[in-house]
Amino acid sequence: MDKDILVSYIPLYKNALLLTLKIGWQGIGLSMIIGLAGAAVLHFKVKVIKNIVGIYVELFRNTPLLVQLFFIYFALPKIGVNISAEICGMLGIGLLGGAYMIETFRSGLETIPVMQSESALSLGLDKRQTFLYVILPQAFSAVVPGLTANIIFLLKETSVFSTISLMDLMFTAKDLIGMYAKTIECLFLLVVFYFIMILPVSIIGMIVERKTRYAEFGD
Amino acid sequence: MKKTILSKVKKLTSLLLIGLMLTSVFTGCTTTKADSSNKKTVYRTLKEIKKSGKINIGVFSDKSPFGYVDKNGKYAGYDVYFANRIAKDLGVDANFVSVEAANRIEYLQTGKVDIILANFTVTKERAEEVDFALPYMNVALGVVSPSNKVIKKLDQIGAKDEVIVISGTTAETYLTKNYPKIKLQKYDAYAEAKTAFENKNGVAWANDNTEVIAFAKENKGYTVGISSLGDNDTIAPAVTKGNKTLLKWLNDETKALGKESFFHKNYEKTLVDTYGADYEEILVVEGGKVK
Amino acid sequence: MQSLGIDVLLKGSNFSRLLQGLYVALEISFVSVTISILLGLIVGVLMTLKNPILCFILKIYLEVVRIIPQMVLLFVVYFGTTRVFGMDLLAETSAIIVFVFWGVAEMGDLVRGAIKSIPTIQFESAYALGMNKFQVYVYIILPQTLRRLIPLSINLITRMIKTTSLVVMVGIVEVLKVAQQIIEANRTTSPNAAFGVFGVVFIMYFLICWPISRLSIYLEKRWA
Repeated sequence: MDKDILVSYIPLYKNALLLTLKIGWQGIGLSMIIGLAGAAVLHFKVKVIKNIVGIYVELFRNTPLLVQLFFIYFALPKIGVNISAEICGMLGIGLLGGAYMIETFRSGLETIPVMQSESALSLGLDKRQTFLYVILPQAFSAVVPGLTANIIFLLKETSVFSTISLMDLMFTAKDLIGMYAKTIECLFLLVVFYFIMILPVSIIGMIVERKTRYAEFGD
Repeated sequence: MKKTILSKVKKLTSLLLIGLMLTSVFTGCTTTKADSSNKKTVYRTLKEIKKSGKINIGVFSDKSPFGYVDKNGKYAGYDVYFANRIAKDLGVDANFVSVEAANRIEYLQTGKVDIILANFTVTKERAEEVDFALPYMNVALGVVSPSNKVIKKLDQIGAKDEVIVISGTTAETYLTKNYPKIKLQKYDAYAEAKTAFENKNGVAWANDNTEVIAFAKENKGYTVGISSLGDNDTIAPAVTKGNKTLLKWLNDETKALGKESFFHKNYEKTLVDTYGADYEEILVVEGGKVK
Repeated sequence: MQSLGIDVLLKGSNFSRLLQGLYVALEISFVSVTISILLGLIVGVLMTLKNPILCFILKIYLEVVRIIPQMVLLFVVYFGTTRVFGMDLLAETSAIIVFVFWGVAEMGDLVRGAIKSIPTIQFESAYALGMNKFQVYVYIILPQTLRRLIPLSINLITRMIKTTSLVVMVGIVEVLKVAQQIIEANRTTSPNAAFGVFGVVFIMYFLICWPISRLSIYLEKRWA
């Protein structure tokens, strides 16, 4: 491996990392919003919308992101819906992630027995207090592992951005290999930068998981 | 295909271990095992190819009219026509491997194909990585844009405009080097780049002029505003660096084919529908001799 | 508006080629998933053994798989092996190696989770009855784990199928590549083919993955 080449490529990878992070996290933000809204719809069993959410979840959980992005980016403009690559990437991650987040949040809400809110209410807490101090902390701790897993999954999925011309980490590596054929250096940096991007999330996830465990019931 | 996959299964346990080792090499950070000194030769000599009865040729599968797959699933186009002739004269079967612009060098250097015949422009940088045979086509760069907003000069491109290029092509390298301010929108595959261009994701598409001329001829509403940019280059077959026997055979073949005007015939079979007769003398290089 | 390009699929052998492409992708998934499940069972059991060195190695393995995208692994194995070891791998072989490498970790983790979910008291009672470690695993733990595992492994199949779409990146002519080729070959006659063809690919994936994931959910509910 050539050190000079590694050093000269680092700025390019850094830019790619920033872009990947930007679009990735925007998408993850969107997926959480979709997830919360969808989980609420399913939890409270809102008529009709419940079914739409159900179809959406099935559609996006059962198709590859690559195919989804191809469809959004290359096929939709044919019927007049034209969106930029960045928005498309964000939407792709957001929609795919949303389908997973809904499941995560919903199962989080379901882990809390009805008895808990009943006891809280009978102890004299009002509804707001019950939700804030009893339900939410427990639901949160139940959701954390799933949430971390989803975020890591989505950050990894950003690697398919390259197919819609977004200069993410994967694309930068492929592009440099195509232009200068320094394969080993490019692949090495690629792996290193994915570690830089995802390892912190993995570690933070573990810490948060430990810290919130107090809210768990027993064990 | 089915059998090759299944027969590989048996070896997989051992290969899995290699995968594990490899990852540890890449993640171990400190161990730089990438020593190229004691590398085995990856290419197959002429003899080995003949003996195996099959030659692996890397072509495009989405770059009409040079290398594409027709509606019956058969490879076709100018490059493919030549490739078929090579296989025939070698007395072997042609096995076409679908490549992308950005991984053409990679395929040769890893011995995954014997020859690249994928509209491969000869450049100095590439010649350091692979060996080019005699050329069979002329090429320069060109830029195509929608007819209602033709780009005739590169300085017409605004700071916010994006130009579509294909990753790993000479257009990409040329623009990156000479016009670093122009924003490029890069795609892996020709099909994707063209679809994106049709979808108006970029103000123009820069590529080999052959390709952009063909695009403007085949699709209404597009004009080639810049038909010759940069140097006049040639397109040639490429083999893995050091594969002398195959290289020599290819050169002899190209010269011999010149005697029967093979590439003119090829043009008339595959390109004339797109370009008409006017471009024949401009594009075709016969017998490996550039005029 | 012109036709949306679905008619393109009816021309020549286009549709059957698309199906063939899908078959290539599915074949790679099924080979990978079968090996992953078998090896994953072993790795999963290894993870529950309290051997510190083994635990450490497996942890690193899991973390690597967790962090590096499959697409990156695919590139590393496909292009990297030749560079580093001078050996040439078929694209299909590299894809299977990568998916197995990933699948074994996933499966192993599922197995570990399933074993962990079996109360310690079962181990203890079995030991108290005079069984050895091997017997405990084979007769007591595994039968129970398997039941919990089957829905999860079925779910792994759909994830494997979805991930296999990435192999288009290492030049395997699977369904997406065929789709691109069809779009390219018909660009002049039906410029909107991208919509129809990519739409059909989307639906194809859904029609394959959806029943499998429903089955997994059904079994999970039934056997829970």
